[in-house]
Amino acid sequence: MDEIRSAEPRLSRYIHAKAAQRGYPCAGTFELTPRCNFDCKMCYVHLSKQEQEARGKELTAQQWISMGQQACAEGMVFLLLTGGEPTLRPDFPEIYSALKKMGLMISINSNGYLLRGEILELLRNDPPYRINISLYGTSNETYERLCGIAAYDIVMENVRQLRESGIDVKLNMSVTQENRADLQAVFEQASALGVHTQAASYMFPPVRISGKFGEGFRMRPQEAAQCEVNYNRLRMGRERFCAYAQELAGGVRSKEESGDCEGAQPGEGMRCRAGRSSFWLTWDGKLLPCGMMPEPAADALALGIAEAWRQIHEKVEAIRMPAACQSCAYAHGCHVCAAMCYCETGGYDAPPEYVCQMTRSVFSLTQEASCEEAAKEETWN
Amino acid sequence: MELKLDFVLREIAGDTLLVPAGKTALDLNGMLTLNEVGAFLWKSLPDAADEEALVQGILREYDAQEAQVRADVSEFLGKLRELGIL
Repeated sequence: MDEIRSAEPRLSRYIHAKAAQRGYPCAGTFELTPRCNFDCKMCYVHLSKQEQEARGKELTAQQWISMGQQACAEGMVFLLLTGGEPTLRPDFPEIYSALKKMGLMISINSNGYLLRGEILELLRNDPPYRINISLYGTSNETYERLCGIAAYDIVMENVRQLRESGIDVKLNMSVTQENRADLQAVFEQASALGVHTQAASYMFPPVRISGKFGEGFRMRPQEAAQCEVNYNRLRMGRERFCAYAQELAGGVRSKEESGDCEGAQPGEGMRCRAGRSSFWLTWDGKLLPCGMMPEPAADALALGIAEAWRQIHEKVEAIRMPAACQSCAYAHGCHVCAAMCYCETGGYDAPPEYVCQMTRSVFSLTQEASCEEAAKEETWN
Repeated sequence: MELKLDFVLREIAGDTLLVPAGKTALDLNGMLTLNEVGAFLWKSLPDAADEEALVQGILREYDAQEAQVRADVSEFLGKLRELGIL
């Protein structure tokens, strides 16, 4: 049920576990810009140049490099460069090269459109640990509909060039109502290229730019659940999927077993790495536990990374997930996190209903799909 | 002794990590970790003329049996060769 983490090298898991135990940041994300050459309908961060200038100033190359030095001194060894589209910055090569020299395992999030020419040369000569390309579909038409730009052919050509250069590529797909029909084709495309793929159909409400909780461009929870189940069938194959369906069904506790303690016990602390072993630094220098939630925040430019980390780490330790989640019968198959609670409800006290509905649907749709698979197998036998 | 691949050595919370630098990421897409003696050997490599120099360096630094040190240094260098680092 946790493929990505289980595929992660053991050393990385150990480093994160140690950092969380000791309270230092071994991983960071530098959000170099909120600007992007795409205009994806579900984006949680994208601002136009005018909007960005009205909201604040992007950190300069020298400021990013200084942030890198400070974070390394605190123990950072993994760094994700993201945006917006990070390669849109003309000074991306200067920032990237300086950070690479610090001895960081750097990954880059990109839509892939600009990864050619000089940027490709830069990456060939000084490769990152991995490039995560957001693949939004398998046709120019899908891209036009969702991202406002018919970019598919160019992106795929750039992905091929990266692979031919030996650079590790992962394809990430955000599944929405505009591109869900392409899910299987994306998966097949990734398999043909021999690259890892990951699809997500839960879209966070873009609270950081809209200020509105529980709203965003996304499917109904039942539709998002259907996409998740479809993706699980693709990536797991019949045997593993049926075993996973059994695990889900077997793990569901009855109301009696789970106990009627809703609200009676304090909830659990945050389980993910956000603010415990990793941080997110926004384009204008705010340190967050995670890029999806605008708080708790600390001004890293004014305070420096060490003090900003200390402040958000302390606040994250105090966050408690909804008590109802702890006793929920679906907890063992639910992806709920603090950022989801915050973005859906504006706080951490109440379960995020959209996520609850999606999870319940994943459970029931998984059982239906498992029965379909079993029927198919019987027919063939 | 000359290294064929580039790394940046990081010391974080008691761990010594070798992070691939430059094109090394294409040959070795991940980090390596060294224990205390491994870190000592790694730092000694650039100035050591040969395996014997590494052995003598360890014997000066640690109160250890020479036979064991020779076996450990040989194993360490063998691993580096296996990974294409040396």
